[in-house]
Amino acid sequence: MFMKTFEEKWTAWLDGQLTGKELVEFEDSLPDRAAAEAEKRDAKKLGSLLKQELGVSTFTNAEFFSHQLNERIAADEAAEDRHVTRSTWWSLPRLAWAGAASLAMFVLFTVALMRDKNPADQSQYLSQILNARVDPALGPNATITMFESKEARVTVLWTEGLQSLPSDFAAK
Amino acid sequence: MRVSVLTVVAALIMAVTPPAGAAEKVWSGLVMAENSDNPHSIPTELGSLEKTLKELFGYNQFEVIGESNKTLKSGDEDWLASSKYFSLHVDARGMSANGYELNLKLFQDKQLLLETETKLSKRSPLVIKGPQVGSGQLLLVLVVQ
Repeated sequence: MFMKTFEEKWTAWLDGQLTGKELVEFEDSLPDRAAAEAEKRDAKKLGSLLKQELGVSTFTNAEFFSHQLNERIAADEAAEDRHVTRSTWWSLPRLAWAGAASLAMFVLFTVALMRDKNPADQSQYLSQILNARVDPALGPNATITMFESKEARVTVLWTEGLQSLPSDFAAK
Repeated sequence: MRVSVLTVVAALIMAVTPPAGAAEKVWSGLVMAENSDNPHSIPTELGSLEKTLKELFGYNQFEVIGESNKTLKSGDEDWLASSKYFSLHVDARGMSANGYELNLKLFQDKQLLLETETKLSKRSPLVIKGPQVGSGQLLLVLVVQ
């Protein structure tokens, strides 16, 4: 066994739990017995008053378990309510509009990219010669050829047999 | 919310769609190609075509003897690029997303030498080999700038 401290014995004495030899020895050790008795009475009064006013009740095990369960359920419901409050900005119409806007942006960017990067249809970017004719009086044997230099993206109309002209005609 | 989404979509459509009435310039030139011991530097308008012109025609000097720089708005304009003896009459007959439909007529004085219908692409110059002139060659060049 171990020795009780003065505080432990004092608390036990106030609660009326000291008995026999221990009670006699403790009461003998008190320096002011009358003051200690007065304090004991005050402590008892205070205890009675607290029980009366606060109505503290003692839970049985079953009641305590039920109480804990109710507390947990209430806490969970509160957390769920907070979550619902945070999510309300994404209402169904807003989600639908956001989805439609995203789809529209995707389609537009895809169309824009495909328009610029379609190598299969490159010929539409080259100039075309639909038809050509040379005045037969000036070049009865003239021929016309058309070709494209795809590397340089140049379309050429090549004539042969046109009447040659003197260098004076090169004047500005 | 609905208005803002529509605004964003409209802005995107405008951003990716080329403006239908955007003005573009078509440079039309009468060019004399010759061989010279001291060739002049090629005119700015033909800078991107220098290598192609030299390879195709075998000349080392290209000189602009007549030109026109026409801004097209409706695609129905017509214009003339002239030198002393030659003139190139260009008649635009509509525009598409890729370029312009043009009727070209090359005149020597008032005599029609050559006529052609073309679709001039915005990304592809057009070069026409004209008559031999002295030791050189007359070329017609059209470029959308």
